[in-house]
Amino acid sequence: MGDFLQLVKNENMKIYRRPRTWVMTGILIGLVLAISIMWLTFGGRDASMWDVAFIEASVLFLLVTIFTVVIAAGGVAEEFTSGTIKLLLIRPWSRSKILLSKYVAIMMFAILLAVLLFASTIFVNWVAFGINADPEVVPNTIPNGDSPVSYLMQYYALTLVSLVVTVTLAFMLSTVFRSGGLAIGMSLFLLLGVNSFILLIAMLDYKWIDYLLFIHLNLTQYLDGNPMREGMTLGFSLGVLGVYYILFIALTWYIFNKRDVAS
Amino acid sequence: MEKPIVRLQNVTKRIGRRTIIDKLTLDLPLGEVFGFLGPNGAGKTTTIRMMVGLMSLTEGEIFINGHSITKDYEKAIRHVGAIVENPEMYKYLSGYDNLIHYARMIPGITEHRVHEVVKLVGLEGRIRDKVKTYSLGMRQRLGVAQAILHKPQLLILDEPTNGLDPAGIRELRDYLRKLSKDEGIAVFVSSHLLSEMELMCDRVAIIQNGRLIDVRTIGGSETAAVAARVFIEVDRPQGAIEALLATGRSSIFEGEQAIAVEADRDETAAINAVLVAAGIKVYGIRAHVKSLEDQFLEVTGGERIG
Ligand SMILES: Nc1ncnc2c1ncn2[C@@H]1O[C@H](COP(=O)(O)OP(=O)(O)OP(=O)(O)O)[C@@H](O)[C@H]1O
Ligand SMILES: [Mg+2]
Repeated sequence: MGDFLQLVKNENMKIYRRPRTWVMTGILIGLVLAISIMWLTFGGRDASMWDVAFIEASVLFLLVTIFTVVIAAGGVAEEFTSGTIKLLLIRPWSRSKILLSKYVAIMMFAILLAVLLFASTIFVNWVAFGINADPEVVPNTIPNGDSPVSYLMQYYALTLVSLVVTVTLAFMLSTVFRSGGLAIGMSLFLLLGVNSFILLIAMLDYKWIDYLLFIHLNLTQYLDGNPMREGMTLGFSLGVLGVYYILFIALTWYIFNKRDVAS
Repeated sequence: MEKPIVRLQNVTKRIGRRTIIDKLTLDLPLGEVFGFLGPNGAGKTTTIRMMVGLMSLTEGEIFINGHSITKDYEKAIRHVGAIVENPEMYKYLSGYDNLIHYARMIPGITEHRVHEVVKLVGLEGRIRDKVKTYSLGMRQRLGVAQAILHKPQLLILDEPTNGLDPAGIRELRDYLRKLSKDEGIAVFVSSHLLSEMELMCDRVAIIQNGRLIDVRTIGGSETAAVAARVFIEVDRPQGAIEALLATGRSSIFEGEQAIAVEADRDETAAINAVLVAAGIKVYGIRAHVKSLEDQFLEVTGGERIG
């Protein structure tokens, strides 16, 4: 039938024509600037640009996740609460494809924010610390022997994997409960709340804990080679995340296809 | 009748234990404005939701242009334009962007067509404004615009006159009639505004408690043939009654200087001839034709809900 890209274009329009999207993007870049400027003011110029970039990434990537969760949670739920879902669905497109276009647009937004974060941290810190840097200054948060760029890239790649799973979870909650607030609340609670006592849970000696989603959401634990639980490998974590991911996707699509639209 | 554009066969919807739509069977031909009339809660919106695939059918089948809405959705819905209840749009987008949004979903809609439709619904002046600044009637107009954007063969409108001003209602009515007559499309309009339906529709189905009660043709021979109460002003009511009783007529009511009988057009003429032949002076004949509204209230027994 028609052109699927047109559907994605529609979803993009619905994301980027809203002020909140630009406010979130602005906050992200503003914080990168603010942290670097504060470092420069209070810490002086003799820091490695890679150290600052890495620390900013590790703090602000959480914000990327939160912002994308907000957009994902609104994705389906807002169409239901505003009633626009009716006019959206009565087009010559299957529900699956309409849902997919939303999912694709949200993932594009996630990647856009991640790329923006990467580019702005590198650029801002290169300007602040990198130009004419003292060759004596070496990055000390990045393990010796690794090139800083490749280390950062690995860090982003692993974090992006967790981001995709978390956002898919929020997308599922949005579809199941048709309430953006509930979807945001639950995803963020699971993300932040559970994360704060995950270390405690990880110490418990039960086999089933190995299969909990939240043990595996922090993949960067493998970068420095000391996993949260003994014997866990990156492959195992990716496997567990993969199973959850397929489960989330299957449930989301099943429910969206099946549901009567009577709002 | 040629092949119907829409065919509802034994359509049934149950939610929990409640039967909301009960074995609804209807055929709609092209080129007709078809009214769907019923009191609040009769099941009009539910039927429309099933026709556009927003709700599943518990039993039965709906075919649009020969394609099953449950099995071949994309083909069936291709030539349908609809408003289901209130036409909710993206409030943070302009009216124009909303239309572009729907235009993108169906291949072949040009920008020129979008402008044409905007002009048609009379929104040129405000189309670049955000929808959140629109009045109810303007939103309804935008709703009509998105429904006709792709020149559908079947237009389904759930209470489209809701919120329109008298001029808007009239324009819509004229436009719908023109669409069905000139372009030969089928229009399916639901309403509980009975007088509205009379002016707009060729046929009207009356639905109550999810059941189809009656399908009537408006303004055709059927209405003319409906017996009306006829008041005849005469000089001698008593003599008039005697003359009519002699012709075998019963149920004649006597009034002061007048009588009343139940008769259709032809019978009225015959009665007049009988009275004149009997030497009775007839001063006036007035037929009180039942409006669709009277018929509707009669059939549904008033506006009881439930
Ligand atoms: N999701 C639902 N769950 C349960 N019952 C429902 C649901 N939607 C509608 N109903 C019931 O189905 C019946 C028909 O509702 P519907 O909205 O189709 O009526 P309607 O003819 O469009 O009425 P109105 O003129 O008020 O718009 C009502 O009794 C309503 O309570
Ligand atoms: Mg209704």
